[in-house]
Amino acid sequence: MAQEIIKKTVEDNEIVLFMKGSQDFPQCGFSGRAVQILSACGADFASVDVLADEQIRDGIKQFSNWPTVPQLYVKGEFIGGSDIMMEMYQSGELQQILGDKEHA
Amino acid sequence: MVTPEQIQHWIEQGLTDSAAKVSGDGQHFEAVIVCADFSGKTRIQRHQMVYAALGDRMKSEIHALSMKTVTTEEIQMQS
Repeated sequence: MAQEIIKKTVEDNEIVLFMKGSQDFPQCGFSGRAVQILSACGADFASVDVLADEQIRDGIKQFSNWPTVPQLYVKGEFIGGSDIMMEMYQSGELQQILGDKEHA
Repeated sequence: MVTPEQIQHWIEQGLTDSAAKVSGDGQHFEAVIVCADFSGKTRIQRHQMVYAALGDRMKSEIHALSMKTVTTEEIQMQS
């Protein structure tokens, strides 16, 4: 059930961040950093607060075999957590992935 | 409480030919991990290898772990 909801969420939203808290009020430093990185890229993104739903909170960890939150998905593909987002932002890869969406 | 030394030990034990440098306060940790087997792997795969080495500890004892995963070649390129 949770897996289907997550699958549909990442398919329906070009850019989606599974995080703790909301974009305006992140409940964890890593989630806050992820939001900041996406904002710095000028990305318009959807977010899912995993703290609001226990099933999603557990389910997202199985979905990509990734034990932590935040998790970024672009066009249905798992991109990584906040460390990977930061590395990709610093190298310019993240802007490219997110920018592709605008040019498509 | 988990110490950086324990995490370093778990990572190095779980990943062949790896070296880890870990710092942290018992809740949040930062690690730089060098491993030859990272070669040819994506960032996601590398992190998954470290998570696999830590196993269930990621779900319980370790609240947050920030990491950088590199191969020996990548370190040489940076220096």
